[in-house]
Amino acid sequence: MASKEGTDRRDDDEVCPVCKSSRYLNPNMRFLINPECYHKMCESCVDRIFSSGPSSCPVAGCRKTLRKNRFRKQTFEDIGVEREVDIRRRVMHILNRREEEFDSKRNYDDFLEQREEIIANLVLRIDVAKTEAQLQQYAQENMQSIRNNQALEEQEATSFQARMTLEQEEAQRRRQIARQEYESERRELHAGREDFLSRLASGTAADASAIAKEGHKVLLKKSSARRSEEDRIRQKQAALRGSETKRTGTPLTTADTAGTSSGLIKGLRKIKTPEPEKPYDPFMGLVPEKRDYYTLQQSYPSAYLDNLQKNTQVSAGGYNLQEYYSRTLLEAFAGLGCFVEEEVSRREAEKVSKPTATEGAAMAAVKEN
Amino acid sequence: MALSPFASRSPSVAISSPNTALRLKAAAAQPAAGSAMSAVPAAHAHSELTEQLNDSVARNYERGKKLGEGTYAVVYQGRRRDTAATVAIKKIKVNADYKDGLAMDAIREVKYLQELSHPNVIALHDVFSKHENLHIVLEFLPGGDLEMLIKDQDIHYGAADIKAWMGMLARGVWFCHENFVLHRDIKPNNLLIAADGEVKLADFGLARSFADPYLNMTHQVITRWYRPPELLYGARQYSGAVDVWSMGMVFAELVLRVPFVAGNTDLDQISKICEAFGTPTEENWPGVTQLPNYIPTDGSHIIPASGRDFFLRQFPTAGPVGADLLMSMCALDPRKRTTALQVLQHSWWTIDPRPTEKEALPQKRKSAEKKMGDDLSRRGGELPDDSPFKNAARQLDFGAMK
Repeated sequence: MASKEGTDRRDDDEVCPVCKSSRYLNPNMRFLINPECYHKMCESCVDRIFSSGPSSCPVAGCRKTLRKNRFRKQTFEDIGVEREVDIRRRVMHILNRREEEFDSKRNYDDFLEQREEIIANLVLRIDVAKTEAQLQQYAQENMQSIRNNQALEEQEATSFQARMTLEQEEAQRRRQIARQEYESERRELHAGREDFLSRLASGTAADASAIAKEGHKVLLKKSSARRSEEDRIRQKQAALRGSETKRTGTPLTTADTAGTSSGLIKGLRKIKTPEPEKPYDPFMGLVPEKRDYYTLQQSYPSAYLDNLQKNTQVSAGGYNLQEYYSRTLLEAFAGLGCFVEEEVSRREAEKVSKPTATEGAAMAAVKEN
Repeated sequence: MALSPFASRSPSVAISSPNTALRLKAAAAQPAAGSAMSAVPAAHAHSELTEQLNDSVARNYERGKKLGEGTYAVVYQGRRRDTAATVAIKKIKVNADYKDGLAMDAIREVKYLQELSHPNVIALHDVFSKHENLHIVLEFLPGGDLEMLIKDQDIHYGAADIKAWMGMLARGVWFCHENFVLHRDIKPNNLLIAADGEVKLADFGLARSFADPYLNMTHQVITRWYRPPELLYGARQYSGAVDVWSMGMVFAELVLRVPFVAGNTDLDQISKICEAFGTPTEENWPGVTQLPNYIPTDGSHIIPASGRDFFLRQFPTAGPVGADLLMSMCALDPRKRTTALQVLQHSWWTIDPRPTEKEALPQKRKSAEKKMGDDLSRRGGELPDDSPFKNAARQLDFGAMK
């Protein structure tokens, strides 16, 4: 990226193409561009021409209508680069599919190539209208997934930022610890040597070699203990880091199914929408009170049953004559519409593959009716 | 369906499953058509044929390790030889009490289970006899039972889980009632759990058909804590409402994680029910005073029937709609109690929270197989020694039915 300062200083006599005022007379002059046509002009010109609403570009031959709020500072010295970067940013913003959304690596690569082609078309002004229309349509159809992927990207960026600062802090802390360790080690070494010297000074000549050996050993032991402690800490940190990266693995996006409808991007993974849950059926498919061959009446005249109806003791116990009617009719019609031979031959054909769990199925089915 | 359990006394009917019975008839028809045989050899061949069929069924199963044992039966894990499917084989013990026939519980179990095929009712695969013992081949349910889940304080469950369990229970009970079978022993430890979390109604040792006019049924059924007031008052004609009451008690127990009305004796049970739900009177239950074992309460002790507030306060987990459902299942008058069908038609099932998928339901990790063995080998009404149901066992007086 070219430094702004550098640009300013080099072109000391830079002149605004619109008002012709030069930097020499106005050292605070800033140049702005508009990504509609990338014509450069000074800040005061922008204020003057566009403050009262959108207006056409003052550069001769350019009829683009510009708005003040779109004017910005130039990032790159080369206006062509500036334009390409803008186009790239806009296209990438729309065509923001992620690798995990594709069936295969091949399809993802194809997508990347396609995106580059679109960018190139726009930069080189080939088929601009058609390409723009395609992009527009895609953006409309995939609004949801574009937004999702944007959110994901943002999330990743922030988490990356957070991780970076964390790592920096960690490194700083490590350096500090290392420095402290070095200090304490040096101090210990120093103290050990002093102790050793004082013991040598106070002891006899015969002890000298023994003391010297002992002192050396103590120092060795200390440093090895420290080293193993360091190893342990390092391993722990490595394990922690490992688990962290596992956790921050990117979650799969929930892209919408419309992704393939415009046909712009191919090879997108098919997203299965879960079937809407069926309402709970308390009977689980069985039909209550299904009677194929008869209708049940409220009462049937019978001298035999009249007494029973009058008996309060019987009815107080919960006995219900209606149930008797219902059962009698059920049993009278049981078996109609049930053809044992057919069922047996069908069962034989199936060659008793299942355990005979439905042994009484025929009978039960009949009862059902 | 026969009207009385005694109708299928003949062991050949009880022993051969419908499947084998069909094959038996087809096989018997062939030799008879082929040659003009005399009556005696035909009868002889027939008896041999049943034995052959029985042997072929018996050979198809391989007995594995023992899962549990009770006074009534031993339950083994088994394997089907042709499909390698795991099953539970319940071997009915030869009982000194039933020298002249098979144990009633076994007959009831076979008779009603072979009629019922539903995801929430334990499946009966086959029946065969071997070494003079009756073997019942049942679906293998390794998930333990609801009682274990209720008691295990380490397991936490919520309203959605309760709804899922209750839904499966209600479907099972509704299916039985739709086919006019009363279970008559619904309680958490008869609700076994399959490997996939499905709750299945098991232990049909007390089941019978219902709705026969003028036919007395015994009132000494259903474990006491789950027994409805009409049975405690000795009603001899009753309906599916008895199972619905038990279901309500299971519901309450699932919410509270302790049995809701747990009396020490039948009388204590009645007074506990009165405390909780109000005293039955001629006003709220017309005809109650005429029930055989009705105990009159003096006017000063009458507790008014508890209203909606009581259920809302007592069972907040169920939510207001769930409390309404529970209240309707616990109506004192069996005629006012909801039926199993109405339970399933209630709006509670469709409101939030949606019932948990069965695979996602809390499951027991400990040795649940043993529990299944114990549950299946228990005689109807028999209880494990260490259970809180210790003195609550029901007794069946079969003498009274003859």
